Amino acid sequence: MTVARDPSTAYVAALGGAPVAPAVPQGGWLERYEHLVGARTLRALEALARKLKGHRIVMVNTTKTGGGVAEILHRVVVILNELGIQTSWEVMEGDEQFFGVTKKMHNALHGHTQPLTEEDREVYHERTRIEANRLALDGDLILIHDPQPAFLIEHRREPGQHWVWRCHIDLSRRDESYWDFLKPAVARYDTAIFSHIEFVPPLTVPAALVPPSIDPFAEKNRDMSEEEVETICERLGLDATSPWITQISRFDRIKDPVGVLEAFKLVRTRRPSHLILAGGSASDDPEGAEVLAEVRENAKGVKDVTILELPPQSDIEINAIQRASTVVLQKSLREGFALTVSEALWKRRAVVASAVGGIPLQVLHERTGLLVRSIEGTAFQTIRFLDNPELRRDLGVEGHVHVRDNFLHTREVRDYLAVFARLLG
Amino acid sequence: MDQAPPAAVSEAFTFFTPSPLESPAGQVATDMQSLRDGIAACSEASLFQHVTRMPVRFPHAKDVPENDFARWAGDQMQMPEVSERLAFVGSGSSASFDELREALLGVLDRVQPRERKREAPEGGSFYFIEAHSVLAPLGVDARTPAEVIEVWPWIDLGSAFYHLVEAPLYGTSEHALIPWLREHGGKTMADSAEQVVRSSRPLNILLKEVGSRWRRSMIGRRLIERAEAPELERQREARAAMARLAGRLRGRGNKG
Repeated sequence: MTVARDPSTAYVAALGGAPVAPAVPQGGWLERYEHLVGARTLRALEALARKLKGHRIVMVNTTKTGGGVAEILHRVVVILNELGIQTSWEVMEGDEQFFGVTKKMHNALHGHTQPLTEEDREVYHERTRIEANRLALDGDLILIHDPQPAFLIEHRREPGQHWVWRCHIDLSRRDESYWDFLKPAVARYDTAIFSHIEFVPPLTVPAALVPPSIDPFAEKNRDMSEEEVETICERLGLDATSPWITQISRFDRIKDPVGVLEAFKLVRTRRPSHLILAGGSASDDPEGAEVLAEVRENAKGVKDVTILELPPQSDIEINAIQRASTVVLQKSLREGFALTVSEALWKRRAVVASAVGGIPLQVLHERTGLLVRSIEGTAFQTIRFLDNPELRRDLGVEGHVHVRDNFLHTREVRDYLAVFARLLG
Repeated sequence: MDQAPPAAVSEAFTFFTPSPLESPAGQVATDMQSLRDGIAACSEASLFQHVTRMPVRFPHAKDVPENDFARWAGDQMQMPEVSERLAFVGSGSSASFDELREALLGVLDRVQPRERKREAPEGGSFYFIEAHSVLAPLGVDARTPAEVIEVWPWIDLGSAFYHLVEAPLYGTSEHALIPWLREHGGKTMADSAEQVVRSSRPLNILLKEVGSRWRRSMIGRRLIERAEAPELERQREARAAMARLAGRLRGRGNKG
């Protein structure tokens, strides 16, 4: 009988020469994850990582902080190093002009179109050329995150290297002219990774599906005592006299805040409850401001409604509000992956959500939450949860387990390792 | 175990852990007819992903959800009867891919023609996915069925599922655990594993059950071995066992 454990895969961070050095807790991230996912799951990760020993991975994106991709990389890069795979993280830099173009590109790929001018293209390609000379892209496998650094491959691909493009954005409503611009670069990659099957455009290279994941130790998701939750909610001026029904989303029509309000009005005629609609500040987003005004108008005269505009970096507040809520809603008309659903499920909340985008992967109807398609359906399922603490508890527990098995960073790392192992063999 | 293993077992059983690499399979269903056509045309890897892999996709669920086709028919198409039938035919994990495909198509062929073209709601299409396992040696192997019992607690759920269900289904016989147990004198172990694997219980419970059945199956054999052991050795082992028990009791006392 042999039960091998490679001593070099001890959970010690071994970041070497990376320009971005993410923070590592004492003992490492994997040791913390072991308490959540179990030792056997981590041994399986180690086994997969052993296949990649000796290879070097380089991750590339365009920001060290802020945004979901940077958040994920701060964890994933450390975990890969703890697993014994030398992984570095390069950040492509740019000026205001470049990021203006990539912002336009990002929006257009999401479906909000502004024409891409010849000047825009020149700005984009010029910055790519400069950064291609500067960045240390000397690994065996280069993982490029999102469209901004996608064209680096044209300048830096070396024989024997494998390049993978990881697209974190939803391309299902893309502006085809932007995609036509990006397509020639994507066609040079060995594999393209997408978060959800509905986001995959027609491709000439193999596609892999790697759903996004949440960080259970982040401020937005970490455990909180009841006292801490109470203190934060008191600070926000939230009243706890009746059960909270909450939707936390930006003020955007596709999140259907007005529909949420209508559903709440139906609930409120039958059960005492309080609606919290919380979202990021709409001050720098004209469309968001318009939607927010519409919501406020609709909420006039409706009792027990709180509309909260949260400033950026409100992760702790979001965590506390979700934990204090009896029912968490995500009544979107359209969605990307909607990882906020996993965040609520992780906190064992009772979730009522629309069956769109990535939500049905997270909410299994009557198992981890309740799926809905209408305002009346939302009201009906919300009342079911309000009336039935056992149902809330049972589905909440199952939701937590489902997220633990499928939507934590360790699973995303495993999926990346599978992609790398397939390519590097 | 029913009989002593052969004296010299040359080939050890090596455990692998699989990582599922998921990718688009190409088919998209927007109504029951296109679901039927998709199932008729899709790869085995797609049937594996949407039906066979359910236990390992939800290893700790209170009970394993119905397969993806059944769930889609129920949740998106609002066809509970078809959903139930698809759930039933997809629940036999040991069915070959051909049998499974035939059974699923049999259910969909019974859908009324006027219902077949009723479209899914917006955003409710079914996209077929394939899953291919990328294998890595777990660093665990066993030379005898008894050693399989010893190493079982080291085996992750994905690995156990691979060796008990996936490898036999794909005909990767060198990775199939049950035939290996049979060939190496572990017929009872093989039979009990086979029986437990057929159950629809969640994977983590199922594998604990396999482990405890195997351990129980060893009791008789261990008793015989101990009875045949020299008196001094038996006394030494008895003292060691008593010491372990006392240690455990002391531990409990401290906690209390």
